[in-house]
Amino acid sequence: MMHVIIGGGAAGITAAREIRGWQPDAQIVMICSDEQVHSRCMLHKYLSHERTAEELDFTEKGFFEKNQIVQICDRVVSVDTADKEVCLASDRKIAYDRLLIATGAESVIPPVGDLRKAENVFGLRHLSDAQKIDKMAEDAEEILVIGAGLVGLDAAYGLQERGKKVTVVEMAPRILPVQLDEHGATAYQELFERAGVSFRLWCSVQNAVCGADNRIHSVELDSGETISCDMIVVAAGVRPSVGFLEGSGIKAERGIEVNSRMETSVKDVYAAGDVTGLSGIWPNAMKQGKMAARNMCGVKPMPGVDTEYADTFADKNTINFFGLVTLCLGALQPEEGDEVQVQEDMHIYRRAILRDGKVRGILLQGDISNSGIWQYIIKNQIDVRGKGKKLFQLTFADYFGTGERGKYVWNV
Amino acid sequence: MRRIIVEYEKCDGCKNCSVACMQAHRKSAGTVYDLDLTSPENESRNFIYQAGDGTYRPIFCRHCDEPECVMSCMSGALKKDAASGLVTYDEKRCGSCFMCVMNCPFGVLKPDRTTRTKVIKCDFCAQDGGEPNCVKSCPKGAIHVEEV
Ligand SMILES: Cc1cc2nc3c(=O)[nH]c(=O)nc-3n(C[C@H](O)[C@H](O)[C@H](O)COP(=O)(O)OP(=O)(O)OC[C@H]3O[C@@H](n4cnc5c(N)ncnc54)[C@H](O)[C@@H]3O)c2cc1C
Ligand code: SF4
Ligand code: SF4
Repeated sequence: MMHVIIGGGAAGITAAREIRGWQPDAQIVMICSDEQVHSRCMLHKYLSHERTAEELDFTEKGFFEKNQIVQICDRVVSVDTADKEVCLASDRKIAYDRLLIATGAESVIPPVGDLRKAENVFGLRHLSDAQKIDKMAEDAEEILVIGAGLVGLDAAYGLQERGKKVTVVEMAPRILPVQLDEHGATAYQELFERAGVSFRLWCSVQNAVCGADNRIHSVELDSGETISCDMIVVAAGVRPSVGFLEGSGIKAERGIEVNSRMETSVKDVYAAGDVTGLSGIWPNAMKQGKMAARNMCGVKPMPGVDTEYADTFADKNTINFFGLVTLCLGALQPEEGDEVQVQEDMHIYRRAILRDGKVRGILLQGDISNSGIWQYIIKNQIDVRGKGKKLFQLTFADYFGTGERGKYVWNV
Repeated sequence: MRRIIVEYEKCDGCKNCSVACMQAHRKSAGTVYDLDLTSPENESRNFIYQAGDGTYRPIFCRHCDEPECVMSCMSGALKKDAASGLVTYDEKRCGSCFMCVMNCPFGVLKPDRTTRTKVIKCDFCAQDGGEPNCVKSCPKGAIHVEEV
């Protein structure tokens, strides 16, 4: 059996490990356009010089040798599903019995002014992006970041740690608008400002013109302000990397369409991770990769071995900047009829949105100890009433149950 | 693999296990008699929590068969060891994202209180030959190690 995996991120690596676990003798080939394996979630630590490129590797030493995975460092340019082979940029062709597409996503650079053509504008998705940013930052003083989501703040964090003057422009009236409410966002904004980062909220870049050197030296905001900059990092969203699938017959709209077994519309072709558009976070990419691998190996479901991607909840994030930690889950904005509970002191902020005794969303900032229960409570719509406790005092003790071999089970 | 089996009905909430855990993982040398119980540096990796009726539930890492914490770890710090079955944590690799804290369905994990750079996680007392000190200290026999 020849398993071919395109992409060596969270989904691809997890799938490769899982396939090897089920099929000791199968052939596994991983084709990846990255020069080395790296965790995108740690790129900010590369920009800040807290970690080297090698220290971003999330696989153990000798992972590929130990698991006998053939690594091909190249880019897939097309997939021929009739002849069951993939075509690489180097013109090489690789035949497959089962194919996994785990190509993740690409940064979107909005078509504003010369942003797309200037040579000092970068997205932040791959190590290669971070390396280019790092190199140009050597001679840059003022850096503009477009977007104050998690990726934008990762860029801002890393570059301010290098002593750069960073300005972040954000369309929404607050930073981290998808993750946090006003209170939670302000806490981070203050920490970033204390570190020297400045923000322009509720405004957007209206024009950015290249100079003769093909670089943008200043941008105009819709507020009328002009901000000078030596380079720009754009963190305005991503799009699934599906360009090379044109003509393959594999159905993809925003992302590759898959069923719960991670099968695409074409037989023997699977997809997992950000490329499916089902989620944009690491844990879900891993889980999809694992389920894809099991189905690629023909594993049948049995107790303790799921083969379907059923745990689809993806409205979840943790944030950690400057030692302030936050957990955000589920709904962020209360709707009419929702109950909102807030608890606050010098060090913590907790906010829950409830409806009919069920938690729709929760935000914990400052202390997220033992907070793993909340994801379970929210995604399984557990009624939190009648435990004789205040909401934020609930622990697993209130749902404690044990199962076979000393496992814990939720007793609801 | 070996797992700490919990019989909550026997637990009377004395927290000897938590003190034993703090003592086993303290940085400074010393005996349990000079262990600073209020220092944020000394954190227990197990928890005794009360249910609404006042009875106690020992919340200990299960070293799960399919660990959700490992399935969220973006740095490779958390791993399920194939030989021992234990879920191990490598502080040096950890990227301090705390997605594992979010993902453990039993709320076993937490960020360290002083630096927020590490995860406080049961290591089955690897430094003591893999014999958990909490189990040795329980006067009630509410927790014991079993091959599962
Ligand atoms: C800066 C940053 C910070 C983040 N922080 C967090 C966080 O804190 N928590 C969280 O949960 N998530 C975070 N994410 C998101 C997380 O990184 C992704 O959800 C995760 O990486 C998705 O994994 P994946 O395997 O689907 O895709 P990716 O990790 O993107 O991997 C895709 C792989 O495919 C390769 N590839 C693409 N096209 C081709 C081709 N044509 N041929 C060959 N190879 C190809 C790429 O080189 C890459 O190796 C962050 C992302 C970024 C960019
Ligand atoms: S930390 Fe939680 S998820 Fe991880 S092994 Fe322990 S009990 Fe399981
Ligand atoms: S905090 Fe560390 S151990 Fe936990 S998921 Fe993040 S990198 Fe892994």
